[in-house]
Amino acid sequence: MSEANNYRTEVTPVWCPGCGNFALLNALTRTVLPNLGIPNHRALIVSGIGCSSRIPGYIDTYGFNSLHGRAVVIAQGAKLANSELTVVAIGGDGDFFSIGAGHLPHAVRRNVNVTCIMVNNFVYALTKGQTSPTTPYLQRGEGPFLSLQFYPPVDPVLDMVSYSVSTRASFIAQGIATDPSHLAWLIEEAIKHKGFSFLNVLTPCVTFDPPWLFKTIKEKATYLKEGEPVGLPDSSAEQPWPHDSSNITLALKLAQSPVLERPHIGIIFRGKES
Amino acid sequence: MRHRLTIGIAGAGGDGVVMLGSLLQRLAASRGYFGQMPRYYGPQIRGGASGVKLSLDTARASVPGDTLDIMVCFNWEKYAELEQELPLGTDTVVFYDSAAPKESISLPEKSFQVGFSEISNELTGTTSAKNIVALGLLERILALPESLSKGAVVEDEASALLERNGLALNAGKRLLLEFPFPDLKLSPSQDASAKVVLHGNSAIVQAAIRTGCRTFFGYPITPASEIMEEMQERLGQGNGVFLQAEDEIAAVGMALGASLTGAKSMTATTGPGLDLMTEMMGLASGAEIPVVIVDVQRCGPATGIPSKSEQSDINHAIYGGHGDAPRVVIAPYNLEGCYRLLIESFNISEYYQIPVILLSDQRLGQTTVATNSNMLEADYAIVERKRPGREYRAQYRRYEITDDYISPMALAGDEGTVYQFTGLAHNERGRPSFDFATNQRMHEKRWQKLAPLRDRDEFVKVCGKEEARKGIVSFGSSAQFVLETVEYLGLQDEVKVCIPELIHPLPRRLTSFVDSLERLLVVEMSYSAQLHRYLRSQIDLPSDTESYARAGGMAFSRKELSGPITKLAR
Repeated sequence: MSEANNYRTEVTPVWCPGCGNFALLNALTRTVLPNLGIPNHRALIVSGIGCSSRIPGYIDTYGFNSLHGRAVVIAQGAKLANSELTVVAIGGDGDFFSIGAGHLPHAVRRNVNVTCIMVNNFVYALTKGQTSPTTPYLQRGEGPFLSLQFYPPVDPVLDMVSYSVSTRASFIAQGIATDPSHLAWLIEEAIKHKGFSFLNVLTPCVTFDPPWLFKTIKEKATYLKEGEPVGLPDSSAEQPWPHDSSNITLALKLAQSPVLERPHIGIIFRGKES
Repeated sequence: MRHRLTIGIAGAGGDGVVMLGSLLQRLAASRGYFGQMPRYYGPQIRGGASGVKLSLDTARASVPGDTLDIMVCFNWEKYAELEQELPLGTDTVVFYDSAAPKESISLPEKSFQVGFSEISNELTGTTSAKNIVALGLLERILALPESLSKGAVVEDEASALLERNGLALNAGKRLLLEFPFPDLKLSPSQDASAKVVLHGNSAIVQAAIRTGCRTFFGYPITPASEIMEEMQERLGQGNGVFLQAEDEIAAVGMALGASLTGAKSMTATTGPGLDLMTEMMGLASGAEIPVVIVDVQRCGPATGIPSKSEQSDINHAIYGGHGDAPRVVIAPYNLEGCYRLLIESFNISEYYQIPVILLSDQRLGQTTVATNSNMLEADYAIVERKRPGREYRAQYRRYEITDDYISPMALAGDEGTVYQFTGLAHNERGRPSFDFATNQRMHEKRWQKLAPLRDRDEFVKVCGKEEARKGIVSFGSSAQFVLETVEYLGLQDEVKVCIPELIHPLPRRLTSFVDSLERLLVVEMSYSAQLHRYLRSQIDLPSDTESYARAGGMAFSRKELSGPITKLAR
């Protein structure tokens, strides 16, 4: 039995010290679930396979650590059968944008009220350091990016945020694990949104990513605030692009900013509810 | 006067072949006649060959005869593609439309060019009512009662079509004057009550609704699509949850998701879809989540022959997937079984918290059968999932090892019993656990819980005399042909037939059947004899055991099975 305000199980996470997943776990259990007043039995967290997908075991709500790539599928089925549940699908970049990528555009077009949190650590970490669809692209000869990879990744990155904009997900946001309180706010907004919401969480992998990767992202991160100019090259005082999360054209511009050059943190797009 | 007639109809898609067959079957059914109507179609989207073979029977829904008593042909070129399914006998009475057949087809003596198209054109200005003209003629030849068409109240497109084409129908009836065949009249049905007409796919849908299934997720695939389409009709308009998924992985995944919340959920597919569903079968088995998967088998491997029947998914259904993942496999052999066993599939799935695969096949799924409505009206026990009572809630253990190995299952949303499902090896509380002893114990639990199913004798149908020492084991639609052939050969006293409906785990009744035999024949439509090999792996078969197994692509016939069955009886 759990106290109403305690959302952690007694299970010790398998994650490495300093892993961004702890920030997500804390955001969910200490802030989001208590703030939204969701009783333990009214939430269902469905995950895939990977480091972040271990999370249901640590949260004292209903949960399902399912199969690689399939979290969003199981989540939709559960939500359709019991609309009173708050259903959150959590997985990694491999889950949602490699093996399970085929499911996402369909979840988007159905706009079932499920929140999808993609914990993007840019690498396959559970299997010890292989490239993922989001591993930054390097020219051959630039040297290995990943500590255990002999061959550097040479294929262009699959840009998940652009993808979710182009398929017109009804809620798109990007958070960063080094700012858990902002991340918690984004998750709350995503859960409150009545429709399919996609949240990309930039997360360092302290074991397999090179340290400069997350340092760069953190330094360059800019926060989106409604009505304030966005950090785009063609947005200036003379020609302002004030942030407007209902503007899909702006959302596409924001999404297309390379994450290593200009990571936009905040609500990128908020469209029609279902 | 005949007690049973077999009528073939062939043409090109668009000729109204299936419509003509359906109307005739339903009109006859409304006057009490039984029968079956398998349909044959090719790979073309439109305009391919289209054929049906309809039995009309006064006593039971028999398998159509090998050769035809009556043949209606609208297109000989297309008929050539269907010749193996619709063979002409020397006594077949043939009515064909405008063009004479090419030399390659030799017509029986009683063959007549009727000009259905021409008559339709004269009366309606188009040839599209030619099938209705043919219907009028057939009605009269069979001497179906006059008030028949009016008595058949079928509120759909077909009856509206008849209504609009009264002229064509009457013109067809008048043709009888030119073609009187008194020996083709049908005697009155032994049971004049109106018969229901439905195919196996439809029976599965009706049973699903009957048993309380209100969540269905599917993906279009021949020959299972009718299940999805009819579930859409039933569950649309807010009567439940219906969703056409992006693929079969998603379809069964969503069904699992819905099942977590307590919904009786189901999906339906055929071989290629079952391939994709395999990872979820393992997950449902390991995490003990009820789900029903219908596999309307077709010819494999790969794309195979989508529109034709085979029985080659046994291995996949029983063993498919990695790891030791128990599941239950059930196989109906007739229409009544499609209905009853779908209800049983849910009962078993819910009670044992396990994926159940209902192995149907294209022949069962797409053959419309006219039969009495007993199966729809019978009482069926509906078994529900065991859920934790209040006493459990203080220290709920999702996978508690109980006396019968079945742990009460709390549903996502239930207060006080929060837990986490997982595909990882887990302990009684559902926590991931990687130690050997726990893993071993959980395997024992998942396998041992199924032990009582082996005593379910009612899932094994045995026909014939107990003292017979020669026997046949067959399953699925092939078993119907075995029963028909044994009767046709008059061997009911010497040869007994055993039809397992529960394939896995295999009921003990099958062992006692086989133990009573000196000689056994296993009949199936699988080139590699999957049923025979499976039986050999489970029970000691007599040393004198023969296997009759071949690929799908054509239905069995009495003639074909007469060989091995006669040999068995010798």
